[in-house]
Amino acid sequence: MTIVFQPKPSRPAPSNVVGPAAWLRQNLFKDIPNTLMTILGLYIAVTVVGWVLNWAVFNAVWDADNRRECLDMVGRSGACWPGVAKWLPNMIYGLYPKDQVWRINLGFLALIVWMIPLWMGGVKSKVAIGLSAVLLYPFLASYFFLGGSKGVVWSALIALGLSGFVWVWATAICERVTGLSVGEWIGRRFAGATEDVKQKRVRQIAALLLFLVCYGVVSQWSLPGVRTQLWGGLFLTLVISGIGITFSLPAGILLALGRRSNMPVISLLSTLFIELFRSVPLITILFMFNTMLPLFLPEGTSVNQLVRAIVAVCLFAAAYMAEVIRGGLQAIPKGQYEAAASLGLGYWQTTTQVIMPQALKIMIPTIVGNFIGLFKDTTLVSIIGLFDLMNMARAVGEDSDWLGLFIEPFFVVSLIYFVFCFAMSSYSIGLERKLSAGRDR
Amino acid sequence: MSRIEGAKKVIEITKLNKWFGPFHVLKDVSLTVRDREIYVVCGPSGSGKSTLIRCINQLEHHQEGDIVVDGVEVEKKGKNQALIRRNIGMVFQSFNLFPHLTVLENCTLTPTLGLQTPRKEAEETAMRHLERVGIADQARKYPLQLSGGQQQRVAIARSLCTKPKIMLFDEPTSALDPEMIKEVLDVMVELAEDGMTMICVTHEMGFARQVADKVVFMDGGEIVESDTPEAFFANPRYDRTQAFLSHIL
Ligand SMILES: Nc1ncnc2c1ncn2[C@@H]1O[C@H](COP(=O)(O)OP(=O)(O)O)[C@@H](O)[C@H]1O
Ligand SMILES: [Mg+2]
Repeated sequence: MTIVFQPKPSRPAPSNVVGPAAWLRQNLFKDIPNTLMTILGLYIAVTVVGWVLNWAVFNAVWDADNRRECLDMVGRSGACWPGVAKWLPNMIYGLYPKDQVWRINLGFLALIVWMIPLWMGGVKSKVAIGLSAVLLYPFLASYFFLGGSKGVVWSALIALGLSGFVWVWATAICERVTGLSVGEWIGRRFAGATEDVKQKRVRQIAALLLFLVCYGVVSQWSLPGVRTQLWGGLFLTLVISGIGITFSLPAGILLALGRRSNMPVISLLSTLFIELFRSVPLITILFMFNTMLPLFLPEGTSVNQLVRAIVAVCLFAAAYMAEVIRGGLQAIPKGQYEAAASLGLGYWQTTTQVIMPQALKIMIPTIVGNFIGLFKDTTLVSIIGLFDLMNMARAVGEDSDWLGLFIEPFFVVSLIYFVFCFAMSSYSIGLERKLSAGRDR
Repeated sequence: MSRIEGAKKVIEITKLNKWFGPFHVLKDVSLTVRDREIYVVCGPSGSGKSTLIRCINQLEHHQEGDIVVDGVEVEKKGKNQALIRRNIGMVFQSFNLFPHLTVLENCTLTPTLGLQTPRKEAEETAMRHLERVGIADQARKYPLQLSGGQQQRVAIARSLCTKPKIMLFDEPTSALDPEMIKEVLDVMVELAEDGMTMICVTHEMGFARQVADKVVFMDGGEIVESDTPEAFFANPRYDRTQAFLSHIL
């Protein structure tokens, strides 16, 4: 006779291993040294926070005309905020003309609006939208920030940027409402659901029409030029690091692929480039580009100092990113390449569809870490005389009214950097969670 | 087996030699596989079984000898590998599914790339093959959410989606728990019965008995003997073969 196996029912865990009281006992008051450390830690935290709050809020001076008045009122025991408040516009926008500052605000607002669909439910083309923000937005932004006369080519590029913006929102709304991308929807609407070839034609015509309309709009649009010498503050920091970050990822990917290539010349050149830029400090590269780049260019052409700084930052960032990506590529098992090869996929198909998505996913924390590092490293451009956020903060204490006022502006700069870097870091952690959800057992 | 006699030669390997650096892995290997024929290759670890079948679809490049696949000569430096691989499917010991794509996307990736096949058609084909290997209900899951046996069956379906004329299997069940080996072998048996041309590196002798037309024993980079399963198991001629069989049976 066979006996039927009866599994025992599971019982809840005993109460001394779960619940908040158990957690406290386990982690904070486990034994005497542990308890002492907890108390000491709390004491330090409370003292520091109390001290900072006293200085920055309770003892602070909020209204004064110069630093002398601040010192007379509270001495050094409280912060002197009026100086920072007076300089805050400069710390954010540099010397950008006051009546044109709206362009900077609108430019960054456009980026935010551009990316909102990335967080909307029901939108499928998120990759395309993200890519368009990276590839097309800069053209639109360039005109907001620079302005001035634009030739045919630049106009076309700006129109491309504008078309991108329109497309993103059209497709986001269309996908939410109908579940189809705007291209598919227009195709079906005007060519019938089954006519593949005709649909493609309709889509092309629609895209061309959109571009022409945008071009018309752009050619009617004119903003006064603002020289880059007037750019500064947080705005300049965001422009330099934004371009550096945007450039470093694709360039880093290409360099990493180049370094691993089977073609010796490409591999050698990529390796040389990467190692060269990785073994020289960014400051040195900035100096070299600032003083030496003009020597290599033909007589009479002059390169804007901002462009020199941006080129230096981009190349430096690309070299670092290349090594990060290469690390990710090395983590992909050989079997993935073999499976792709046995299915008949070519080099680029394997790279873009199979290898890169996996490599980038593993490397998200490191990539974002690199972005954060680059964002902070851009403070170095102050060395070659650009007035980024850091340099602007220093300028506060050199103003005759606020002579010696350094701590307060640096405090604010630290806060600004913290907010940006913390946001990037939290976003990367969120992204990591989301991407790994449901894919690992 | 009479159904094979005179059928078209699909793979013809003559005097194949391959070295890894100074190490001579394959020595004068010759093998002819006809249409709808099932070959089972066995032999001790390190005898060159994997290398042999990997030479056929050019995952490894050989140095001497000729390989002709479906009438096309395989070039030694892999110049026509894209053409060769189009007709050959391969299943690996470690499945090698793409973990960032769903089961269905794994199957439709190759057919839809470059828009050779419209997505809808590719998905229908993929679902048909997934049904055939009994995984259709898992199509929207990611590979790592499946058991080993299920993953291997997905790998087989993924290969079938590229419409191969020949399937190569490199120890498809060696990484599986005993309970899952059977579900994969069942799929392979069915595939064999449907008339697929197959070369299977495996130590599953039950499978060999059931469907193989020829069993090949390799040792030290050579084909030691090759015979019908009846003859191979009843009276192996070489001592090496006998020793090997006494180990695994
Ligand atoms: N890429 C390689 N480089 C050098 N030696 C290799 C390589 N691949 C396999 N070998 C060697 O070739 C021999 C045959 O390997 P393999 O074909 O994998 O054997 P099997 O599949 O029969 O176990 C082994 O000794 C192995 O160490
Ligand atoms: Mg092997």
